[in-house]
Amino acid sequence: MRLHGVSKAFGRHTAVDRLDLEIEPGGIYGLLGPNGSGKTTTLRMIMGILRPDGGSAELFGRDPAHVRRREVGYLPEERGLYRRMRVLDVLLFLAEIRGVARRDAEPRARGWLRRLGLEGWWDRRVEDLSKGMQQKVQFVGTVLHEPSLLVLDEPFSGLDPINQDLLEEIVLEFRARGATVLLSTHLMDQAERLCERVCLLSGGKAVLEGDLRSLRVAERTGVVVVDFQGDEGWLSGPEVASVERRGDGLHLMLHPGADAGALLRRAVEAEVELRRFERVEPRLHEIFVRHAGGGSGAVAEGAR
Amino acid sequence: MRNVWIVLRREYLERVRTRWFLFGTLAGPLLLSAVVLLPALVVDSGPRAGDRLAVQDRTGVLLEGVAERLRAGGLEVVPAGTSPEETSRLRGAVTEGRLSGYLVLDEETLRSGRVSWYGEEAPGSLQGLSIRQAVVTTALTLQLRRQGVEPGALLAGGSLETTVLGSAGSDDAEGRFLLGFLGAFVLYMVILLYAVAVMRATLQEKTNRLVEVILSAMEPWHLMLGKILGVGAVGLTQLAVWLVVGGTAAVVGLPSLVERGVVAGDLSGLAGELEPRLGLVFAGLFLAGYVIYSSLYAAVGAMCTTDEEAQQAQLPVMFLILVPMLLIVPVLDQPASAFATGMSLVPFFTPILLWPRVVAGVVPGWQLALAFLLMAGTVLVVAWVAGRIYTVGVLMTGKRPTLSELWRWVREA
Repeated sequence: MRLHGVSKAFGRHTAVDRLDLEIEPGGIYGLLGPNGSGKTTTLRMIMGILRPDGGSAELFGRDPAHVRRREVGYLPEERGLYRRMRVLDVLLFLAEIRGVARRDAEPRARGWLRRLGLEGWWDRRVEDLSKGMQQKVQFVGTVLHEPSLLVLDEPFSGLDPINQDLLEEIVLEFRARGATVLLSTHLMDQAERLCERVCLLSGGKAVLEGDLRSLRVAERTGVVVVDFQGDEGWLSGPEVASVERRGDGLHLMLHPGADAGALLRRAVEAEVELRRFERVEPRLHEIFVRHAGGGSGAVAEGAR
Repeated sequence: MRNVWIVLRREYLERVRTRWFLFGTLAGPLLLSAVVLLPALVVDSGPRAGDRLAVQDRTGVLLEGVAERLRAGGLEVVPAGTSPEETSRLRGAVTEGRLSGYLVLDEETLRSGRVSWYGEEAPGSLQGLSIRQAVVTTALTLQLRRQGVEPGALLAGGSLETTVLGSAGSDDAEGRFLLGFLGAFVLYMVILLYAVAVMRATLQEKTNRLVEVILSAMEPWHLMLGKILGVGAVGLTQLAVWLVVGGTAAVVGLPSLVERGVVAGDLSGLAGELEPRLGLVFAGLFLAGYVIYSSLYAAVGAMCTTDEEAQQAQLPVMFLILVPMLLIVPVLDQPASAFATGMSLVPFFTPILLWPRVVAGVVPGWQLALAFLLMAGTVLVVAWVAGRIYTVGVLMTGKRPTLSELWRWVREA
């Protein structure tokens, strides 16, 4: 999947601004960003539902508008189903428009519903279901045709932790089978748990993109947390810029470019009883806040 | 095309499976027949067959006519003498229940139509009416005959002998007028009903947010076509049921109604009009009108986000389909005029205005062909424009587009 210099504006508002994005097959890719940062618009362009104003989008090496049906499972941000139809009928319809024959889809749909704890509900009308149940039904509709690319827009919002775990498990299963998963979220814990690569969107632009591990390394702030017993003299070495006492130990702020290894050697030489020496990697949340301009209520809320 | 079929089937089944469809389809004709049949049944239940009543005629001239007319109404009439003993015997018979009651006719009856009824209970209002009518008609006939006038034709309501000057003369103007008006009205109702249903169906995916999922799997154009065809299929199903039920009712019910004199006029003339060619034209007009207006309504639905918004946005389209209904009276009146011809060839009006003209027999073959050709062209244009508005609009939420925005959609989609 490839986006090249893609832009999309609604009226005077630029939702996505010359975005480049490339996603290799396999793995879970996270599209992160505060509300209104262009995640949904980006996904819609990838799905070929919206046409970019400028630039080009490619899905499986083709124009997304012509990639349809079986390969892709799409769960949009705005959820909904035909309220007056029976659960099973809705699922069969969703499978059918993806090119799965009804008789193949039916046992599969029953299997999924059973797994998600909706056994016995398939003859009921959608409107009889709770919101959470409807959301699970729609998720089933997204994966029923076993797509090789799952595009999930905020897949876990509004679900309780148990069901979130259940869906996470299914997403991980799809990855294990070699499918590609592209999901957008503002829940940083989730992104940290699931994604191998992330792209951080802000104001329609990618402010950060790459492998989650190397991102964290690159974004290290130079904080070392230590806990020890003994003389504190070694702390006044040239590497340390400041010391802050916290509940879990001392937080040392190193000078930029300082060698944490040298500091560790100094501690060993000082023969203190070292219980903890940890180079702290920033949490995604912190990176996110730092790059997305922080302060935004949506971010704080999403990351809680 | 597979997608169109999937959408069509879902749309059809969802609609057909509702209780409202069952109710509307079955109860519709029932209600309609009830409206037609109820008066007949009520009249029927007026003077109940087997009701016995006696007639005491003090004038000596009315008995025969009154008795005959009452018997025609299904009553059993017993002539009675005028002596006081006879009167007390009649009273006895009424109290014992052997008679429902008895009528007394006298000179006053002959002059003013006043008649006296003696019975256990007052006659029902309809029974009373038929008694009065029998008496008055008899008295009137008698009085007129005494003046040397033959009252039969006058009492039957006279007749209008029409001579149509000019070419395409219509022999059964009344029946044609009725058929033309009813047909146009039914066309209007049915086209509007199902076109609005398409608008609602379009809104459905927007309000339940499924539109994105569906559009990630198929072209908007396919979705629109599936919806129009699906709803249209429901309409045809309903019409078919109505036709079967209505046809049966007409075949079984009408003759008996005519027999009872409930339905006035000569229906054989009307029935003669229902030839297969007219049926074909009717179906064609319905289909063309439905596709034109449902496409327009689909575009309206695609532009809006909520039902309330759609109610307002449909006004221009509503107006378009209302115009021919406003023109229907002049067209019915003079179906062959240049005005009627011109208006019935405007494709948006054709579905409704052509019908009364066809019924009147004033549409030559070339006009029929031209009308359908124009409608076919309009279908293509409207579907193309609506499809483009649909493509853009169906994903939009929020503010309704302005006309210039709409035009941009059509150009850019």
